[in-house]
Amino acid sequence: MPCRGLEWNPRLHREKFMTRFVGALRSLLLAAVMSFLGGCAAFYVDGNAPEVPSAQYKKPASPAGVQLLWEFQTRGVANARATELLKARVSEQIVASGLFSSVSDLPDAGGALLSVTVNNVPLSDDAAGKGFIAGLTFGIAGQTVGDGYEGTLRYTPGRSGAPTLQRSGKHVIYTSLGSGSPPPGSLKMPSVAEAVTTMLRQLISRTLNDLSLEAAFP
Amino acid sequence: MIRLALRSVPLVFALAITGCANIKLDATGATPATVEKLRAANLAPAQVGSFKLAAGKDPAMDTTLSGLRGSTLAPGKGSWSQFLKDTLVAELTASGLFNPASTSIIEGQLTDSKVDAAIGTGTSRLAARFTITNGGRVVYEKEVAAEASWESSFLGAVAIPTAMNQYGALYKTLVAKLVDDPDFRRALAK
Repeated sequence: MPCRGLEWNPRLHREKFMTRFVGALRSLLLAAVMSFLGGCAAFYVDGNAPEVPSAQYKKPASPAGVQLLWEFQTRGVANARATELLKARVSEQIVASGLFSSVSDLPDAGGALLSVTVNNVPLSDDAAGKGFIAGLTFGIAGQTVGDGYEGTLRYTPGRSGAPTLQRSGKHVIYTSLGSGSPPPGSLKMPSVAEAVTTMLRQLISRTLNDLSLEAAFP
Repeated sequence: MIRLALRSVPLVFALAITGCANIKLDATGATPATVEKLRAANLAPAQVGSFKLAAGKDPAMDTTLSGLRGSTLAPGKGSWSQFLKDTLVAELTASGLFNPASTSIIEGQLTDSKVDAAIGTGTSRLAARFTITNGGRVVYEKEVAAEASWESSFLGAVAIPTAMNQYGALYKTLVAKLVDDPDFRRALAK
């Protein structure tokens, strides 16, 4: 009597073959998508979170110097390369805000500290249900995905005992492939790098504006 | 499948921003959360002394890193123990607590360093024995470890930069755990 494990089962072998074939096809498709993505993917930033011009900030009568700490995170984990790549842009934006008399990496003589953190979190399909998109556009369709960015700005005044002020904001970058449709009102960017820097500038401008309106600032 | 690839684009951009999988890692700026903690802890400034591989450990552990599916990650200044020292110096400097003339000296010995960019779940671990002496007297000596695990893609283009980033971030995590240790704070209290 033959062993059951060695019995020829045409249906089982067809299933195994199809599983392997589909797996190989998926790998090839993915490789093709990844290879050509740079050429046919389109990048958008959400249109409902525009930049707040620095002229609109409520400028303090006597701005204080500040120590700036900046960190980009990916899913909550410090991302050293992205932090370094975007550091100069963030610093330039803080300097140009007119909210501080000086900006430095090193401790300020007056003791004020400003920390800016942006965390990149991939958005799930039920992001709207979870409230991430609240206030932003939502309507991802077809081959379009959204990447969420949570920005947090913390300002600790140099005055002894003064509480830390914290303001937060959110933004989204959409990536579409082929006929994928971005949400209405989103702004098309020429490249992924431009999408990231635009998102960052807009997100920081909005949190800076919120900070400037705080009664306890600076 | 296509949505997975699409979702990977900004992620890969943010993680890697490089097309090369054989890269060197250098210590970067200070961590906002750690600096805020150090500033609030009312500590005396310290200097940072010798950082080296712990006795009895494989010398390769201090200079190389495997577990990255054939890719390599190397310390920018030649050793991971030096990378750990640079990370600590960056945090102390940004907090106004680094003073090369201080009588308190923080030293370290690397006891573990590994990463595994396995398909499914990636893991990494970093550990070091820290010592603080003051006037030649040991006031703190403890091994501190940091670990991480994360969802690791079957795609090397996604998994490898993710693993590299997770491993690099462990240095900041390890220093943050040191700063959180009440015994460390007591040893450097003003």
